[in-house]
Amino acid sequence: MARKSRQVESRLVAEYLKEHYSEFPFIMKQPLGVVSEELMKTEGYKRALGITRPFRPEVDAVVILPSYLLIIEAKVWNIVNGLAKLPLYKSLVRVTPELQQYLPRGVLMQLVVGWTNPNLEIMAREMDVEVKIFCPEWLREVVESIHKYWTREYQEERQKKLQMREYFGVE
Amino acid sequence: MVLENYVMLKTGVPARLHFTDHTIQKRTVTDPLTGKPATRNVLVLEVDRLDGREVAAKYSIMAETHANQLAPYLPGKEYRGYDFTITRTGEGFLSRWTVGVIPRG
Repeated sequence: MARKSRQVESRLVAEYLKEHYSEFPFIMKQPLGVVSEELMKTEGYKRALGITRPFRPEVDAVVILPSYLLIIEAKVWNIVNGLAKLPLYKSLVRVTPELQQYLPRGVLMQLVVGWTNPNLEIMAREMDVEVKIFCPEWLREVVESIHKYWTREYQEERQKKLQMREYFGVE
Repeated sequence: MVLENYVMLKTGVPARLHFTDHTIQKRTVTDPLTGKPATRNVLVLEVDRLDGREVAAKYSIMAETHANQLAPYLPGKEYRGYDFTITRTGEGFLSRWTVGVIPRG
């Protein structure tokens, strides 16, 4: 079956970090939250982290700033989901074993999006999240398609494209 | 672990790598879903340091998600100015990569 989406969010966050925080250490796809101490005792620290990895939430990036840890979620499609996750992720930073070496530091939150809207900005202010718009050239096409997604013309065009991909076996 | 000069990451164990060069190669693989051969682009990076030791090895990436994490450092071989701490978890389609990017002093 032809693939219906592209891995754009991983590319978005990697480019954003490179452009804005390349002088600081950072971690992409950092699992958050506690790991059972009992598991650590029986399996060892590293193995316990590996075993629990699929069950822990994962933030797109953590930037190690001199006085703060900056947690970042990057979203292209479900931007409100990204905003909603950040305060929950923030609550887990202090109990994350992999981040203990960087504490005590304050925690800042940033939502990186290709586009925004006034409601998102209002909600972000309320939740103490900074919204950053980052829209490199390659993302413009994706952002435009989001805004056209529900139009009949776009849906017809998309169906044709998917059929052709299926026909030619192209991913 | 370095096996036949390819770096093989152990699941859940972070490895600190420094890259010196890269190529994008075509490789024929067997598609696990269809069982048929398929051609894929593979990002192959030359590794000169692994966990602080000098090595002459390659690190090969086929997953788009993981390649995207390193893609911004490919132009101008900018990865030379950084160390990358990479932790792989999960297997096959469920693999995930946590990548730490540390500027070299």
